[in-house]
Amino acid sequence: MLNIQTKQEGNASVVSVKGKINFEVTTQLREAIKDLIATQQPKLLVVNLEGASFIDSSGLGLLVAARSSADKSGSRLHICCIPPQVKKVFDQTNLTNYFSIFATEQDALRA
Amino acid sequence: MPQTSKGLVLIADAESSVRDVMHFYLRRAGYQVLQTADGHDVLIEMAKVQPDLILADLSLPGISGDHLCKIIKKNPDTRDLYIILMTRATDISENETTIEALNIGADDTIIKPLRGQELIARVDSAFRIISMQKEIKQRNRELTAYRESVQRDIKLAALLQLSLLPEAGAVGPYHYTHIYKPVGGIGGDIYAVSPLPYGGVAIMIADVSGHGVTASLISTMVKTSFENHIRTRGGPLIWAQCMNRDLARNTLEEQYATAFIARLDPTAGTISYVSAGHESAIYIADGLSGEPRHPTILNNACSPLGMDESMSFSEYTAPFTSGDRLILYTDGLVEAESSSNKILGSDGLLGFCSEMPSELEDAAALIFDQAQLFIDPNKFTDDITLLVIDHVAN
Repeated sequence: MLNIQTKQEGNASVVSVKGKINFEVTTQLREAIKDLIATQQPKLLVVNLEGASFIDSSGLGLLVAARSSADKSGSRLHICCIPPQVKKVFDQTNLTNYFSIFATEQDALRA
Repeated sequence: MPQTSKGLVLIADAESSVRDVMHFYLRRAGYQVLQTADGHDVLIEMAKVQPDLILADLSLPGISGDHLCKIIKKNPDTRDLYIILMTRATDISENETTIEALNIGADDTIIKPLRGQELIARVDSAFRIISMQKEIKQRNRELTAYRESVQRDIKLAALLQLSLLPEAGAVGPYHYTHIYKPVGGIGGDIYAVSPLPYGGVAIMIADVSGHGVTASLISTMVKTSFENHIRTRGGPLIWAQCMNRDLARNTLEEQYATAFIARLDPTAGTISYVSAGHESAIYIADGLSGEPRHPTILNNACSPLGMDESMSFSEYTAPFTSGDRLILYTDGLVEAESSSNKILGSDGLLGFCSEMPSELEDAAALIFDQAQLFIDPNKFTDDITLLVIDHVAN
């Protein structure tokens, strides 16, 4: 089970996850992001991965789809606080340039 | 049984007056009724007809009610038959009598002397439970049949998927073998080794995001796309671009594949490759010597295939000559986690590759066995494909 917390910061919504982002929990995370977008209609969606210990291909796919949905709805997706072991997966898949990635949540909210 | 009957009740009691009174009430309430005065006759009747409910006296002659109850409940064919034991509140309390009867497997009890209204209320209540049990059994049968049909389909699909993988063998100077372990029989890993009509060999190993049937369907799409594009000239860069377009157009947003796509050129002694978000290939110069060697990683990561049509890719070239070995794999192998929560990783895999047997099959087995040993007693949780390619001297 993934621990997902959400909060509002002005026009931005922040989703913070704790645990392993893998195939078993993608439905849970997808629904949480979907609900947040439907209820808050944020101009900016920040995904804080500070507590993520692992991400697999399903998790990456979900983030790619989230970015694509954000693009279509005229909002933005920022990812922040990626731990080194998760950053390796982003590097290996060359997705560090595909996503807007920030070192801190404050930076992600300000940008 | 008449159409109007609410169900078949078998009364077992030595006293004919008791049987007749019960018969009267039950008939009037809409039940079909059979009577016996002896425990043995109950078993004989049960073999002829299938009662829905048995009302048996505890002190039935032949086979007593409690013994009868044990026999019926012990037999898997009859254990679901609803039994109400009729007991007498004698020197022990009514409660204790009831508890005792339920403990020996009866579904309910009635204390004699019988009251008509209570009898009907209990039998009606029993039939509501019987009806629910029948419905649950029917649903279970349907679910079992459905599960079996899905399992059959998956088994067939798994066989089909297995048939898509090339068997271990050789193309030109390249000898190759694989270890393929999908989780749940079917998975999203695929690989291909194809001689090119214009020279050289095209190879691909891919891992589709997610698991199961969807990943497996997409993996066949990846293979078809690869085989279509290698027919046209060009090399890994063009093939990756075309495969990326095919996948981006034909899969959902979350679905994509990581892939290592390469062309082996025996004349130039090179490998040209695109690593589309895939696990780094391991290259071992002079790896067939059987001596300790320094394996290196062919990295240069590009994006996975199918995420976005606009993604760009880059092609790289490295030496791959006679006596060299190439190891390709999917993330299931290196993301395996030990019981102390350590991930094997590509560094761990590199360690296994520094001293390998010269024999191809032995080399593949060594890597897989070492990885299994690393995670033991844990099991692999993701699809695993390991492909070892040796460039053997002509």
